[in-house]
Amino acid sequence: MMEVCGSTNVSLREFGCEQTLLSRPDGSASFVQGDTSVIAAVYGPAEVKVSKEIYDRATLEVLIQPKVGLPSVRERSQEQCVRETCEASLLLTLHPRSSLTLVLQLIHDDGSRLACFLNAACMALMDAGLPMSCLFCGVTCAINADSEIITDPTAAQEKESRALMTFAIDSKEQRVMMSYTKGSFSVHELQQCIAVSQKASENIFQFYRDSVRRRYSKNL
Amino acid sequence: MPDCFPHAVTFPFLCTTMPTDTKRVRGPEVSQSPTLFLCKHVAVLPSHGRRADGRQRDQVDVRPVFVRCGLVSQAKGSAYIEAGNTKLMCCVYGPREMERKDETDMKCGKLTTDMRFAPFSCLERGSWIQGSQDKDLSLMLHESLQPAVCLHKYPRSQIEVNVMVLENSGSVLAHAVTCASLALADAGIEMYDLVLGCSIRQNGASYVVDPSYMEENSCSSVSSENQGGLTVAFLPSLNQISGLQSDGEMNEETLTAGVRTCIEGCYKLYPVIQQALTKAVRRAAPPPSES
Amino acid sequence: MAAGFKIAEPLEYHRSFLKENCRPDGRELSEFRTTTLNIGSISTADGSALVKVGNTTVMCGIKVELTNPLVEAPGKGFIVPNVDLPPLCSSRFRPGPPGEQAQAASQFIADVIESSEVIQTEDLCIERGKLCWVLYCDMMCVDYDGNVLDACIIALLAALKNTKLPEVTINKDTGAPEVNLEKRKGLNIRKHPVGASFCVFDDSILIVDPTAEEEGLSTSHLTVVTDEKERLCVVHKPGGTPLSAEKLQECIGRATARQREIQKLVDKVIHSVKTAQ
Repeated sequence: MMEVCGSTNVSLREFGCEQTLLSRPDGSASFVQGDTSVIAAVYGPAEVKVSKEIYDRATLEVLIQPKVGLPSVRERSQEQCVRETCEASLLLTLHPRSSLTLVLQLIHDDGSRLACFLNAACMALMDAGLPMSCLFCGVTCAINADSEIITDPTAAQEKESRALMTFAIDSKEQRVMMSYTKGSFSVHELQQCIAVSQKASENIFQFYRDSVRRRYSKNL
Repeated sequence: MPDCFPHAVTFPFLCTTMPTDTKRVRGPEVSQSPTLFLCKHVAVLPSHGRRADGRQRDQVDVRPVFVRCGLVSQAKGSAYIEAGNTKLMCCVYGPREMERKDETDMKCGKLTTDMRFAPFSCLERGSWIQGSQDKDLSLMLHESLQPAVCLHKYPRSQIEVNVMVLENSGSVLAHAVTCASLALADAGIEMYDLVLGCSIRQNGASYVVDPSYMEENSCSSVSSENQGGLTVAFLPSLNQISGLQSDGEMNEETLTAGVRTCIEGCYKLYPVIQQALTKAVRRAAPPPSES
Repeated sequence: MAAGFKIAEPLEYHRSFLKENCRPDGRELSEFRTTTLNIGSISTADGSALVKVGNTTVMCGIKVELTNPLVEAPGKGFIVPNVDLPPLCSSRFRPGPPGEQAQAASQFIADVIESSEVIQTEDLCIERGKLCWVLYCDMMCVDYDGNVLDACIIALLAALKNTKLPEVTINKDTGAPEVNLEKRKGLNIRKHPVGASFCVFDDSILIVDPTAEEEGLSTSHLTVVTDEKERLCVVHKPGGTPLSAEKLQECIGRATARQREIQKLVDKVIHSVKTAQ
């Protein structure tokens, strides 16, 4: 069940996605962007620890596992970004006093990893059948020394870039849900990158749609 | 001084396997304080005559203190104390429900104390992880405060005392006790009395009251007898001692004289603390106007 | 009555203020709390600053140490920033190792340092491949009343400006470093990054410099860090409800104005410390 989307006018690397590839979790997905690859698993809604219980909504926990070693401060900060993005799109009030756990395992990092985490998370949440108000996708833009904007950069391109931005875009109005930046840039460059990301998000949402459609057309 | 340092790749004597801390931004594996490589050595403290900061030796000459209550908006009660360069802050939270339900006591509340040093508070940078020294001090602080707090009035609840040392310039435990009791009072926790702390450093036949960091850690080689430090926690209006901690070696007479000196030091502190407290109370509930 | 309403329906309580374009503490929507700064109060640190933004208080102390540079980067020193939110500063934090919020804040400050290039790590090198400085920047929150990130950046910037590195010479005969604590030199501060934090209420109302209570009730947070050349260093929005481009523009405008205010404040305090000496 591997699907592939070719690159169009905003150049994204080859995308691939497979849902329900793990049997134990309630929802799972793998997401591949070029050589960057992530597996996501969702558990829940399940019973919640008393200390983490929230009386009017579900508690979402996100765990990011790096390829080797223990998660560090950087993973913790990315966990926060992914968690708050998911919290904004999930209808958590439908499952009060319960827990949702999202585990993201990095398989290979070749740039745009935060974007790939977001995409994998969204596909896994969809696969778990959790009610959401909108979908979201992650796009990374790099600005290189010649002030060109590269979408979905590889690790080498990231290293050479002077600024790096990752955005989460919602599917309803294509507004910015999350932003995480590195390096310094002008206001104009930020706006350009947001515009490019919004454009790229159309392609990604189309890819979401195609891959889900293909999956269910086979199943039914 | 390790003279091989710039040639050697690492510091061999520090290369023990440390558990990696994944919850903080990490720096290089090892680093050393520049004070280890001083080209000229620091002047030795005078062992007789006036003290380095101009105070009198062998007399109850405590550093002037600055105290203030209620600085932290989030805490139930808080206090800040500054004695010379020693700067401490204490916050009190509670009484609130016991965190660990299995430890709930139906008759009596629980006092928890946590004392830690900011990494930049000492001459040499401290580690992030609470060391055994901090734990010892927390325990001594707990023992000094507990007798003064009416814990039976707070069944099934806990009262948390957190002390942060922002700058350590000696006599930390003594000032922590004073500061914590002030914060407890500011939080409106019922107490039998305030607890005041004072410490001395005995050096042979002479002693210094409220020692600075240098005085605490210096050791004169003149005599090996009667070398030690003493910290007393004292309830001034009940005239009782709630905590006593001494290290080193002192004979009986010196020790009793030392305790007496500490008590005298506490009485010197008492009016300042009382004043700070009345000021805080007045601010919280202004006296009714005469009209 | 008002106090009861505030506890029972905090969100409604805040909304009723926001409807009138003001906030419970009397501020306008785009007004920061009074910011005060005290520099160099900790003598055991090589540089220190205490910042108060309203009730929020952060103390930054910098300690310098000597170390060997990495083999991969022989000409670079280290900056190690960490944010600590001890149980002392608010009842929401538990004792023990730093929680998620403190860790995310540490990473955020590390990103600000790297992106803004406030200090170039090349400046911390003493002898290439052999000896360099490491700056341990510890930001300790003493009173947590929201917007701790802005306060941390100001505290860090002021403490860095206050930091003086002792002179180090390498003894030719023994090869050992010799430190002279009396002769000290300030750091080369290349940029002045300043942050401005915002909260979004009910997906539409934007407020600046939120208190702890406002942070808890809002649906999304945003922190924009700019430098004196009006370049953006960090635009950090960790999720939450989406934000339109116009709102984002508004935030950036406010952030650049804030940068000027704070840089002026820092310069003024540094100057007053110098003249006092």
